[in-house]
Amino acid sequence: MIELRATLAGRIALAVLSTLILLFLAMPIIVIVVTSFGKDAFGSFPPEAWTLGWYEQLFADGSKWPAALSLSVLVASLTTVFSLVLGITAATALVRSDLPLRSAVYGLVLAPLVIPQVVIALGLFLLFEPAAMLGSPIAIAFGHTVLASPIAVMILMATLKGIDERLEDAAASMGASRLTVWRRITFPLAAPGMIAAAIFSFITSFDEFFISQFLSSVDTVTLPVQVFNVLQYNVDPSVTAVSAILIAVAVVALALVVAVRRLGGPGKQAGLLPTESAVSLPAGSETR
Amino acid sequence: MAVLAPASRPAAPVPRRKRQARLLSDRRTRFGLLNAAPVVLYLLILFVYPIFSTLMLSLKDQAGGFTLHWYADAFRGANLEILLTTLRISAETSLISLVVGFVLASAICRLKPLWAGLAMLVVVVPHFISALVRTYGWIILLGDNGVVNNALTDSRFPGAPFQLLYNEIGVVIGTTAVMLPYTVLLLYAVMKGIDRRLLAAAASMGAGKITIFRRVYVPLVAPGLVNAGVLCFILCLGYYLTPALMGGEKQTMVASLIDEQVMKQNQWNGASALGIILLLFTFAGLILLRLLKSAGEAYRNRGTAS
Repeated sequence: MIELRATLAGRIALAVLSTLILLFLAMPIIVIVVTSFGKDAFGSFPPEAWTLGWYEQLFADGSKWPAALSLSVLVASLTTVFSLVLGITAATALVRSDLPLRSAVYGLVLAPLVIPQVVIALGLFLLFEPAAMLGSPIAIAFGHTVLASPIAVMILMATLKGIDERLEDAAASMGASRLTVWRRITFPLAAPGMIAAAIFSFITSFDEFFISQFLSSVDTVTLPVQVFNVLQYNVDPSVTAVSAILIAVAVVALALVVAVRRLGGPGKQAGLLPTESAVSLPAGSETR
Repeated sequence: MAVLAPASRPAAPVPRRKRQARLLSDRRTRFGLLNAAPVVLYLLILFVYPIFSTLMLSLKDQAGGFTLHWYADAFRGANLEILLTTLRISAETSLISLVVGFVLASAICRLKPLWAGLAMLVVVVPHFISALVRTYGWIILLGDNGVVNNALTDSRFPGAPFQLLYNEIGVVIGTTAVMLPYTVLLLYAVMKGIDRRLLAAAASMGAGKITIFRRVYVPLVAPGLVNAGVLCFILCLGYYLTPALMGGEKQTMVASLIDEQVMKQNQWNGASALGIILLLFTFAGLILLRLLKSAGEAYRNRGTAS
C-alpha cells in the first residue's frame, strides 16, 4: 500500500502492534511448553529449575493418561480411514463427474463445519444412546468423521483439480480401464493430497472435544476430555505435559503436511489451510 | 471410454431441463452419483438425521405430545440471561477479533514474502493446536500469580494484580485468541486480492491518505470484514471450551447450559430446544451474510453501470 505508507512513526507503530498480536497468538503455546519442563508447575515464569517429572508422572502406576492416549490414537486412526474413504469418493464425484445437484451435495458436505458442534454432539448422542454404543471407539470415530470428512473433501477436491484431466483421458484412450487409470495415474498423482487429508483428519479427531464428551462413557475417555475434566475439577500439573504432547503432535503433523507438499506433484495445490475455504463456506454453498 | 473425452461434455449452455434429462443417461452422471453416495448417505444418517431427532425431541412433552414449552422455557429467566450473555460475548469477541485481525492482516500484507510467511506461520500453527490446550495456556498466563500479573506487579503497574480469570475479560481474551486466526486468514485473502492501482489512482486524483483509506480501501475490504465478522460470531455462539474454563458464573454460554442440562440434570428436551435455537441463530447469520453479499453486489453493479 504505497499510497497509504505513513510516516516512519506510523510504520513503527504498526510493526510494534502486529508483533504484539503475533505474541498474543503464540504466548499460550510457549508458556505451556516451557511450564511443562519447569519444576514448580505454577510458579515463576520462566521456571527457576527444570524437570522431566511431569512427563514421568503421566506414565506412573494408576495414571489414567495412557488409556486416554491410546483411545484417542485408536479413534483418530479410525476417523482417518473413514474420512479418507468418504473424502476420496466425494471429491471424485464433485470434481470428476457431472453430478446432479452438485452444489447441494457440496453444501451438505461442508455444513458440519459451521453447525454448532454442541448440536451435532447432542444429535449423535440421541443416535448412539439407544444403540448402546456410548463409549465405543467406533461410535466416537463415526462422530469425528462428521467433522473431519469436510476437511478431507476440500483438500482432495483441490488435489484433483490440480491433476490434469487429460492425463487420465490419455490413459483411458490407450485402453486402460477406469480402475487402472485410477491406480496407475490418479492415485500416484493424488498421493500427497491424500496424505495431507489423512493428517488433517487425524488431528481433527485427536483434538476433538465436544463429540467425545457426549459419546464417551465413564471408563472410555479421550485425551482432550480427560484434560478438560482435570482442568475443571482438580489441578494436576502433569496436564502441562499432556498439553505439550498435544502441541508436539499438531506441530509434527503440520510439518509433515508441509514436507509432503514440498515433495511436489499436484498435492501442492491442496490447501495447507483447509479452514481458509471452510470459513468462506457461505460463499461456496449459495445453493442450499 | 468415449464418455471421458471432453468433447462429450456440452460446450455451450444447453437449456437446464434438457441438459438434466441428458445427464441422467450419461455415464459421467452415474459415476458421480455412485461416488457421491457414500458421503451423502453418511451425512444423512450421522448428521442430518441426528439434528432432525434433536428437533423432534425439543417439541415433545414428557408424555410424548407436541409442546412449545421447552422453547418458552429457553426464553425465560436465567435461560434468557444466558442466551443474552452468549450474544453479548460473541459480539464482543467478533468485534475485537475483527479490529485486531484487520491490523495484523494489513501489516502482513505490507511485509516482504519471507517475513509475511513467518508471520502467517504464527497465525496458522496455533490454529491447528487444540483450543483446549491454548485455553489452558491462557489460564496459566492470566492467573493471579500468572505471567501477566507477575510482570505487571514487578513493573509496579498501578492497580496490579488484576482479576483476569473467571470473568468476562478472561473469556473474551481466550475466545478472541481462538477466533483470531479465522479473521486474519479471511481478511488477508481479501486484502491480497485488492488492486493496488485503485489506491494509486485515488492518490493521483489528489485524495489524501485518510480519504483513500476511508473511500477506497475500506469499501474494498468491506465484504471480507462482513464475512469474517459474521462467521466469527456464528462460531462463537456455539463455542464451549474457553468460556467454560475461563468464565465465571456470569459468563455461562448456551453450549455450557446444554452440557449441564444433559450431563447433570438429564434434561434432554430442554437441551434439544436450546440446541435448535443455536442452530436457528446460525442459519440467521448465514442468511444475513448472503443478503449482505447480494446487496453489496447489487450496489457495486449499480456503481459501474452509472
